[in-house]
Amino acid sequence: MGDSLITIIAIVLAAVLMFIFPLMSMSDRTDDISQLTVQTATTEFVDNVRTTGKLTMSDYSAFEQKVYSTGNSFDIEMQLDSLDENPAKKTAQASQTKIGENVYYTIYTSQILGAISSGDLLLKEGDMFSTSVKNTNTTLGQQLKNFFYTVAGNDTYTIAAEHGGYVTANGNN
Amino acid sequence: MKIQYLAVVFIIIMLPISLVFSEYISAQVETVSLQISFDTKLDNATYDAIKAFQINTINNATSDLADSKIRDIEAAANAFYKSIGTSFNMVGYDTESLSNYVPALVFTLYDGFYIHSQFENTLDDETMDNIKPGSTYDGTEGQILGLKPYISYSCRYQSGNIDVTITYSLDNYITVQGIDASGNGINIAGYLISNISNSTENSIRYRDVTIEKEPALTQQLYKNDVRYIYTKINGQRYYKEQGKDDKWFYISNNRVETIEEEFSETENDMAYRYYKEALEFRDALETAGITSLTPDDAVDENGDPLTDAVITNADGEVIYSFMEGPNSNQPIFDYGTSKNNAIELPDSKFNEHRLAVIRYTIEKNLSVALANYNNGTYDFRMPKLSEEDWATIMNNVSLISFLQGISIGGKIYNGYSVINNNKNEEVVTENSIYIIDDPTDSSGHYHRITHKGLNSYLSSYPNAIGMFNIEFERRSIETSANERRYYYPYRQLGCYDCYVLQTGNDTINTDSNIYEYVDSCGNRLAKLYYTALGRERYSMYKIYRTTDFIQQFYNNSP
Repeated sequence: MGDSLITIIAIVLAAVLMFIFPLMSMSDRTDDISQLTVQTATTEFVDNVRTTGKLTMSDYSAFEQKVYSTGNSFDIEMQLDSLDENPAKKTAQASQTKIGENVYYTIYTSQILGAISSGDLLLKEGDMFSTSVKNTNTTLGQQLKNFFYTVAGNDTYTIAAEHGGYVTANGNN
Repeated sequence: MKIQYLAVVFIIIMLPISLVFSEYISAQVETVSLQISFDTKLDNATYDAIKAFQINTINNATSDLADSKIRDIEAAANAFYKSIGTSFNMVGYDTESLSNYVPALVFTLYDGFYIHSQFENTLDDETMDNIKPGSTYDGTEGQILGLKPYISYSCRYQSGNIDVTITYSLDNYITVQGIDASGNGINIAGYLISNISNSTENSIRYRDVTIEKEPALTQQLYKNDVRYIYTKINGQRYYKEQGKDDKWFYISNNRVETIEEEFSETENDMAYRYYKEALEFRDALETAGITSLTPDDAVDENGDPLTDAVITNADGEVIYSFMEGPNSNQPIFDYGTSKNNAIELPDSKFNEHRLAVIRYTIEKNLSVALANYNNGTYDFRMPKLSEEDWATIMNNVSLISFLQGISIGGKIYNGYSVINNNKNEEVVTENSIYIIDDPTDSSGHYHRITHKGLNSYLSSYPNAIGMFNIEFERRSIETSANERRYYYPYRQLGCYDCYVLQTGNDTINTDSNIYEYVDSCGNRLAKLYYTALGRERYSMYKIYRTTDFIQQFYNNSP
């Protein structure tokens, strides 16, 4: 009796060791690779927008495809802070195109998607553009981890990337 | 004991250990990758701030005046916080909270530097009551974020009667203020240049090259095919209107302002004046006894010798000592006797001392500023900057940013970033002069001085001139209330061999320098280069010049 119990425990442990552990580390590596892909894609996408001053639907779709190709679903958030060129919004002295001194108005993902679905979105020097990507599904790595130790919450994600900065070129020339 | 028992016991012991280990290692990996991502973010934000500074100064005709410059710098600092806030937003930091972790943004400029950081506002109610409405003084109590007073790259020297403060700059320009050898007050400024001779009415010799007054320069504004005669005086460009009433005008705040005064339409003598005044400045320094000063004459603000003024590298080795080095009792302002030991060469005693003063001033003030920056959360310290970073800082206008005290898992982040600003109107470095083959042909090219065989290439271009690199940057002008036009003052393109791909350049040996290289390029190229260097340096805004300075260029007296 005692022997068979121990044998069963040993078999279970052996199964854990031989299957679950390698699986866990494999899925962890997969997540790492996805993370790298997503980070690279995000940086590329944002830098492309920043240096050309132009956001097009085809760029966005290509970016979307690239991150979805990792096999996960993602929440992509974009934010565009547009330099307000109306003179004297903030102070009487502020020069209208001076970068760093003026008021910005901000548009977010849904507005940006609305704008690029009907044509290119042109940005100008001094605008700021940023994008963040987070996975919304539970990856295999997360599932396995949750099996051993629960770190799950509402907002847990393992693959996330963000990038942003100043736009350095005018989109309309 | 059966083998199953052993296996079970072994696994029960090993499993938790390996779990803990893998967690620990992944935490370490996370820390390292966070650190790298923070470094990148800091670099990006610093770069964005420099970019904002460049765009703002190039489109601001008064950017070299002190209060206008302060606005540009504050705008650049805002750009930094805005940019770093954007890249950190997803991690949960915003601009406001991040400024607590930035103990200093250091804007190194031509003859000093600004520190932008939070500081304690000591403006009291009594003073506040006496301030006129609309003043820029801020009455906010406690910590405020802003620019601290300007700190010059200066050093005080005492020797016999002499008690002067010398302010150095990023090139060979110095300002001397105090008491000279004969006990008289002195307040002079100028360029230190050796090997100038044969000063005549129209020409002067420098390094065996005759520098003459050039024909007037022309430049394009937004109109195609119209070239305006222009002259740049004390940082401001004045253009001659074509047609209409032919008045001279300048561009201020992107708008055209007409003036009554007139300048020469035929010649530009800025380069000639540069060398001529340098020769006069040499005489003035010798008369005042300043040329006898040595590094060990340096004293602090109380008149005590600067015994602690030692420059060490990251390994703690002494690079330069004011009191004990091999040059400490050799004259700083040694003009030398030949072309090979001229005072303007990078390895001269003057330049070694100048760089030491700049570095000592920054290190001393910055370490105090950082140590005193306390928000109660983290003990801020100045990190050791690498030698390459120091070389960057001392060569051109730059921005040093610090980000410290953010927890990144196993460590506290402590990083800095140095970004060089090589397109600015602050300083004309030896590398910022390009040679245009044909200035009137907008499909012509501009070249680096190190372009292989440039001399023979230029033989078919009789009108070639040297030009400052920011003249190839885009500017903007408001032509009417709602219309903004962009233009390039010089529309030439960068040469594909030497500028774009940079494969067709001669390399300057480490034991040589650009002056010796230019001397070897032949007389014509050397003349173009030295003329442009002199013209652009002399045309820069200089703080010591009085409002009368411009009057000597007027052709008429209104």
